[in-house]
Amino acid sequence: MTLSAADALRPRRNWQAIVTVAILLVVGFLVILPMVFLIEESLNVGDPMAFPPQAYGLKNYIAIFDEDINVLWNTLIIAVMATIMAILIGFTLAWILTRTNVPGSGMLERLMELPYYMTPLVGALAWAIIAGPKSGFMNQLWKGIGGSGDIADIYTHFGIAWVMALFEGTVAFVMISASMKSMDPALEESARVMGASKLRTTLTVTLPLVMPGVLGATLFVFAEMLGSFAAALVIGIPGRIYVITTAIWDSTLSYPPDYGRASAMGLTLFVVMFGMLTFYRYMIVGGSFATITGKAFRPRPMNMGRLAWVLFAVCLLYVFLAVVLPVAALLLTSFQRFATVILSQAQFTWANYQTALSLGPVRTAMANSLMLGFGVATVGVLVMAVLVWIIYRSQLTGRGAVEYLVMFPGAVPRLVFGLALLWAWLNIPISIYGTLWLLALAYFTVMLPLGVRTLAGVVLQIDKSLEECARVCGAGWGYQMRTVTLPLLRPGILAAWLLIFMACVRELGVSVFLMGPNAKVIAPSIVSAFASSGTELTAAMALIQTFTVIVALVILFRVTRGMTKELA
Amino acid sequence: MSVTRIEVKDLVIRYGDTTAVNGVSFTVGRGEHVTLLGPSGCGKTTTLRAIAGLEQPVGGSISIDGQAMYDASQKRNIPTEQRGVSMVFQSYAVWPHMTVFDNVAYGLRVRKQNAADIKANVERALDLVQMRHLADRGASKLSGGQQQRVALARAIAFSPTVVLFDEPLSNLDAKLRAEMRVELRELQRRLDITSVYVTHDQEEALAISDRVIVMNVGVIEQIGTPEQIYNRPRSRFVADFVGSANIIKGKLSGDGLFATDGGVTLKATSAHKPHGKESEVAVRTAYVDLEPRPGDNHVPGKVRQRLFHGDFVQYVIDSALGALIVRRPPVNLLSEGADVTLSFSPDHCVLLEA
Repeated sequence: MTLSAADALRPRRNWQAIVTVAILLVVGFLVILPMVFLIEESLNVGDPMAFPPQAYGLKNYIAIFDEDINVLWNTLIIAVMATIMAILIGFTLAWILTRTNVPGSGMLERLMELPYYMTPLVGALAWAIIAGPKSGFMNQLWKGIGGSGDIADIYTHFGIAWVMALFEGTVAFVMISASMKSMDPALEESARVMGASKLRTTLTVTLPLVMPGVLGATLFVFAEMLGSFAAALVIGIPGRIYVITTAIWDSTLSYPPDYGRASAMGLTLFVVMFGMLTFYRYMIVGGSFATITGKAFRPRPMNMGRLAWVLFAVCLLYVFLAVVLPVAALLLTSFQRFATVILSQAQFTWANYQTALSLGPVRTAMANSLMLGFGVATVGVLVMAVLVWIIYRSQLTGRGAVEYLVMFPGAVPRLVFGLALLWAWLNIPISIYGTLWLLALAYFTVMLPLGVRTLAGVVLQIDKSLEECARVCGAGWGYQMRTVTLPLLRPGILAAWLLIFMACVRELGVSVFLMGPNAKVIAPSIVSAFASSGTELTAAMALIQTFTVIVALVILFRVTRGMTKELA
Repeated sequence: MSVTRIEVKDLVIRYGDTTAVNGVSFTVGRGEHVTLLGPSGCGKTTTLRAIAGLEQPVGGSISIDGQAMYDASQKRNIPTEQRGVSMVFQSYAVWPHMTVFDNVAYGLRVRKQNAADIKANVERALDLVQMRHLADRGASKLSGGQQQRVALARAIAFSPTVVLFDEPLSNLDAKLRAEMRVELRELQRRLDITSVYVTHDQEEALAISDRVIVMNVGVIEQIGTPEQIYNRPRSRFVADFVGSANIIKGKLSGDGLFATDGGVTLKATSAHKPHGKESEVAVRTAYVDLEPRPGDNHVPGKVRQRLFHGDFVQYVIDSALGALIVRRPPVNLLSEGADVTLSFSPDHCVLLEA
């Protein structure tokens, strides 16, 4: 950037070095220190609550393969099933929406984003209501028409995988459709010109070209599934099916809490996921994607004739299963005294919403979440904007290290990072454990990658010469920031604010560990309500949370649309 | 040339291990319009940006009006905003969040002019580029050509003495580019500004400059008026890059005589003092006649191929000099296979530096 270019020869350099070192120290403290604590604890074979450990050893790691082998087995089976389903869903939808003339593809593409915003937690609750054994809506209907026994049981390996695939599978759709969109249609057209039929072209040109993208998505989704927590928590625990994430959580609940075991499992999960994601990145960079450039093409859609309406129905079916049905089930449940799908027996009431909004703990939890969302988003965005500027526009030495540190929390499964923060702040002699302050700090830390990536997207979109031109016109750094850089960044800052706000209100993985009795937040409260108070109240709470997120989302779309228009 | 406005001396700029500019020196006189011409990666834009203070050199000096803007030996580097130069960017850099008026007024507001002066100056600048009627339009709603004009108006609105142009026309389509070229030349004449212009388009460089500096791989190949560059290229690079030329190999065989490898002796001229090792002459394709003219070099040949381009006809002629490309006006067309005599003046047979 011009500032440092102009000033590099002056004594200012010392000042810049101090700033960089200070930032590295603070971010390093927030990001790296918890992981160091976690590693140390995982090697603790003495009293698990002692800090520092009295004895070191590998016992905790060995125990995973010894005593928890069925947990690993469950994790693997569920992750494989969920990945297969997610990739099937993602591939089908991506193909329909990018390569066929399905009617209303623009609208459908927008709808595909909805499951992501539903959150896996809400989705899992809804599917527990829909397909739970005995009282689940599907089974109620089945008995209503004279069937016996249960036709659906969500509390199974398949059930967990099903929910994961539905709600976390949108990633697969996004990734696969990106690789389908980035293929030059001329590659297919030339096959047609050479005399190949549609089918032959698909088999010999399209599929081989898309395959690396699909494989990459498979790897990525599988890694995500291994670290997935919400569905396993809501559905797995009542069904007594533990996967690694719920096993980690569970071992911190035992008395005394077995933090050593939890840390060892957490680190193992981290290493496996990190390895897979590194391999994935290596694949992307490696030659296998050479034919697929970053350039976006508009592939010529295939004319499917009447079949197009069938494909349209397939897309709608997905939206129905992932959004409409769950929301309907939650709504129906939340307005009844005892949830039933047989409407003649239903007793409708507002009571659940009244309880949710008046019951002390729930109300404070919601208020706390909103407050944290506002606070973390506001302060966070300002700090992140400075970080982004340092990383991508300044010429400070060490800015690469800053970028690495800031992005690091994204590489750690959220739950594992929560565990690391828990252990670290139990032992750091600053007594904010169990307060909203720690939650705020933790949220800020785990939101760093999201916020920085969003803001960086906007910063990098802004042509550097827009800033340089201000300097050439005679503006100093401050004036240039005020008149050019910040106004151009404003839509991006707003978007980042809303994304962070939404993510804070939905946060679960870190919150379950750091929430104290006097600092409750909404997502873990929904989980515990589901475990203790029954589905009706839980449904109301889940819908209130979802509604809050939807409001934020609507604003977000408004803002981003304005932004793309302005920068076009 | 009159007073020196910009002086660049032994400028060196590095990016990491690569040297982008390697010891470049030139001066620009007051009111002069100098163009840095060269292929991409030759260091021309980097040099320009260093004059503006947007790149940090590692050696040499840059001064404007006798004042050192950058001087490696004195560890001096004036920040961009204090250099008082103006610049038109390749991407135009028109701020999308402002109106046309606000864009053009920016430099005036920075200089704290009062509202009345700002209005008058902005309108004067917009008039010069015929954009006054769009003053209130949002800058994101302009076409490429209109953005170009706004960028130009903004660059001249605060009456700078030096304006730097970084490939300002390269994003326009061919026809608009040709029009803007004429307008730019007009504007340069009308306003008393000194300009340094960067382009990779040799036609553009020749058309709008008082002097052209041809650069290649970070060093200057030749400095001269457009006519000098075209008529007396110093090196093979200049002969190839500017205009089109036939390169004929051989060796010096006496004072002003060049013996080609094909056994023909040509009368040649030179932009430099020959030192005997030269092995090439350049003959511009436009300067070869196909009928013998007195006093010229004459070589018999045969038309191998004729390509009709509209504005000119291009012949490929087989002769003892090899296959020569000749461009003639599109009249009296010769048919393929016809016997001709290649004829070009010794003045246009230029010995290239080895």
